[in-house]
Amino acid sequence: MKRATPARTPYVEVRYSGLLDRPLILRGELEYLGPGRLGKRVDSPYREQTTVADGSATVRRGERAPRTFSLGQAPELEGFLRGFSALLGGDAGALQRDFTLSASGTASNWQLRLKPRDDRLARRVQAIEVDGADGTPRCFRTHEGDGDLAILLVDSLAETKLGVRPGQGELDALCRGVAKR
Amino acid sequence: MRRSGWPILLVWLLALAALAFFAIRHLQVSTDLRSFMPPPQTAEQKLLMEQIGDGPGSRLLLLSIEGAPEGQLANLSRGLADALRKDAGHFEQVVNGAFDPAALDDALLPYRYLLSPTLDTHALDADYLGEQLQQRVEDLASPAAALLKPLLRRDPTLETLVLAERWSPPKAPALRDGVWFSSDGHALLLAQTRGAGFDPAAQGAALDALEAAFAALPERGAAKLAISGPGYFTVLINAKTRAEADRLGAISTIGFVLLLLLAYRSLATLLLAALPVLSGGLAGIAALAFGFGSAHGITLAFGFTLLGVAQEYPIRLLSHRRAGEDAVASARALWPLLATAIVSAAIAYLAFFASGVAGLQQLAVFTIAGLLVAGFSTRYLLPRVLPARFRDVADSRAIAAATRWLDRVPRPRWLPWLLLAVGLLVLWRAPGSLWQNDLAALTPVPQDLLLRDAKLRGELGAPDVRYLLVLHAADADGVLALSESLEPELDTLVKQGALDAAEVPSRYLPSLQTQRARQAKLPDTATLDAALAEAARELPFRAGLFAPFVADVERARALAPLTAERFAATPLGTRLASMLVRRDDGWLGLGTLSGVHDAAALAAFAESTHGRVGLLDLKAASESLVVAYRERILHALGLALALLALTVVVALRSVRRAWHVLAPMSLATVLVFVVERAAGISLSLFHLVALTLAAGLGLHYALFFERPVADAAEARRTLHATLVCVLSALLVFGLQAWSSLPVLRAIGLTVALGVGFHFCLSILMARSVR
Repeated sequence: MKRATPARTPYVEVRYSGLLDRPLILRGELEYLGPGRLGKRVDSPYREQTTVADGSATVRRGERAPRTFSLGQAPELEGFLRGFSALLGGDAGALQRDFTLSASGTASNWQLRLKPRDDRLARRVQAIEVDGADGTPRCFRTHEGDGDLAILLVDSLAETKLGVRPGQGELDALCRGVAKR
Repeated sequence: MRRSGWPILLVWLLALAALAFFAIRHLQVSTDLRSFMPPPQTAEQKLLMEQIGDGPGSRLLLLSIEGAPEGQLANLSRGLADALRKDAGHFEQVVNGAFDPAALDDALLPYRYLLSPTLDTHALDADYLGEQLQQRVEDLASPAAALLKPLLRRDPTLETLVLAERWSPPKAPALRDGVWFSSDGHALLLAQTRGAGFDPAAQGAALDALEAAFAALPERGAAKLAISGPGYFTVLINAKTRAEADRLGAISTIGFVLLLLLAYRSLATLLLAALPVLSGGLAGIAALAFGFGSAHGITLAFGFTLLGVAQEYPIRLLSHRRAGEDAVASARALWPLLATAIVSAAIAYLAFFASGVAGLQQLAVFTIAGLLVAGFSTRYLLPRVLPARFRDVADSRAIAAATRWLDRVPRPRWLPWLLLAVGLLVLWRAPGSLWQNDLAALTPVPQDLLLRDAKLRGELGAPDVRYLLVLHAADADGVLALSESLEPELDTLVKQGALDAAEVPSRYLPSLQTQRARQAKLPDTATLDAALAEAARELPFRAGLFAPFVADVERARALAPLTAERFAATPLGTRLASMLVRRDDGWLGLGTLSGVHDAAALAAFAESTHGRVGLLDLKAASESLVVAYRERILHALGLALALLALTVVVALRSVRRAWHVLAPMSLATVLVFVVERAAGISLSLFHLVALTLAAGLGLHYALFFERPVADAAEARRTLHATLVCVLSALLVFGLQAWSSLPVLRAIGLTVALGVGFHFCLSILMARSVR
């Protein structure tokens, strides 16, 4: 699955949160810049640029001064980044070190479940589920510690049209590749 | 030793042990500079005495952790801050930039709308809430979500973060990984100690606790903790001075022992000769314990320095023993002169007692008790325990040759007057300032540490330790209102570059009036509900999500405004508490200043407030205190000299003889002064104490040289005794004069020079030639 860097892909992200009565839907572009380095641009419904490098994330939104967070403060992002980096960097060793893995499916339609080994991380990120076909992941589902869920559709799924309140079942089906687009 | 000597020695040693036990049990040695200083006179000095050490700036330790990756440093910073916050015995406040949502407890949380300036410029209406809630939606999808989710229901406008930012130091360092980092990647923290900044014992305990807390942190790796700040320097310099004094003390003790062995050829004699000074020292401590209960460390150090005179008593006794005569008889023969020396010194030190300064009174009690006990034990105890066998020093051929040589030395009568005239001329033209008022100049902090301190202070925006703004008002709320009214002008001064930042009490708590004005702007529940509904109409938040927020606003509407007294009692209010001082006639507020570039502009600003605000220059105030202290010492010394002259005249029953004793002593003191001034040395308190000791020694030389003696052998004994005294004093203090520490150098150089001049002038002016 190793990618040449930088590798770019458009995405659509659907976030379910206990605080919200309908999911947030964000569209933009993900940029993989090498191990531990990631760019995430939001184009709609607002514009925002997040850059992750050297253990901290910087969020720029409009004219306001950028805000910087450490990954230690944003474990959800850290967990996602580690899994994402290791997958795209083709670093099976790092993946094995940070997560317990369970795989299922076939080569043309596979699922990988990543459970963080680190306790602190595991409290904030229960698991990350990755779905893909052949050498390409299509879908990252991050189950957060407080029950919130973020589903990231990339690559061929990034242009999927979604309703105002896409159901989780609908998205799961998309990820597994069983639904019609 | 005579047969009756053993029981006397035993009883003596037992008495010393008992004295030591009593002294150690009952004397509290204080290291707080205040107990050493004279009572403050001016309002500025009064404030200084409270602020020296107790001021917010001087109790601040600047910490930096370095030598590991950023993430690890951040964890260590958090771990250390947690550990220190639990150690309330040593630390009042610890900040590292991390926002601690639990810091505002439940009872204080609704006050955020009264404390935060948000309501001054915005209302909690649909427009403002809409804009805020839109941002929260965006936050939820950003890496900030993890931080904000727990706050969101109760505080959607993030007022707690606004307050946290307002309460962090005015010019805070960059936040990385949630904690402060310097520009070169070190984690930074500020710790406010409970103990006073210039109290080495309290600061030492706090530093030990700090080092222990850091050492107990897990996963330290190669990370190192660096500390700076006034308290750290106090401890460092104390330790350094003590180490150097101990080192020099050890060397000079060896030299002293060798010298006495050479002079008296007996180890037993040497050990016994130490007993009078030991008795004097212990008696001095016991007298302090009995009379005062506590003494300052500097008083004790000065006292032991002055007690150095007493080492002469046993030396005189040993050198003046005659062949074929009992030691008791020798002591009896020597006693009238020795008693004159002891009593006149003791009477002179009475002048210190009249100074009205606790430190000087203690010094007088210690020294007088010490001198008397050392003198009487030399007279009544030492002769009874000395070995019976000894060598009469009058038989020494070297001493005989030295005596003959000295007798031939020309003694022109005009020489002292010439020396005096030249000396006065030099004094008149001497370079540099006469007095050294900056006590810190005697115990300088190494340059590299000062540079590191300045750098850390700049990065942390930590307050300057020299300048303070002092706000005067009738009550605490008046101070807060005054402080609020100053903020715009201070902001202007910051913009103009007069200083980097100012931290005034209203930063932490607005006045009651301001709180009431904000409270009046809070909407009632129905209005707020409607505004929220409108603001959130297009947004995906669950209905009723913000009920805790609405409840808090409703509670805030009914709150009695937070008083300084109540706020100061909370953990968050410690900072404010240290900025408010209650006085008999009103309240003072203290504002700390960082990065003062233009003190004159600040002074002009203070001037323009017509006495409501003052700029306190701690350095100037402390120097004025030193000046006051020195004036008292000088008065005491003047009085002491008069008492001494009177005692010597009475004891010798002759003004002419007294002149022979006092003239060389006075001239030698002047000459020390002249040499030091010619070398550009400014004189400090330590020089004055050293001059006093040298004068005490000089008095002995002159008294003994002036004494008419019956035979040539006795004159040789006098010379032997004086030579042993002079050489031992030159050895001990001459070594100190080479010290790298200015304070030891000041004492060593002054005494060594003094001993030399006193000796030479006593020979020139006092010695009776047969």
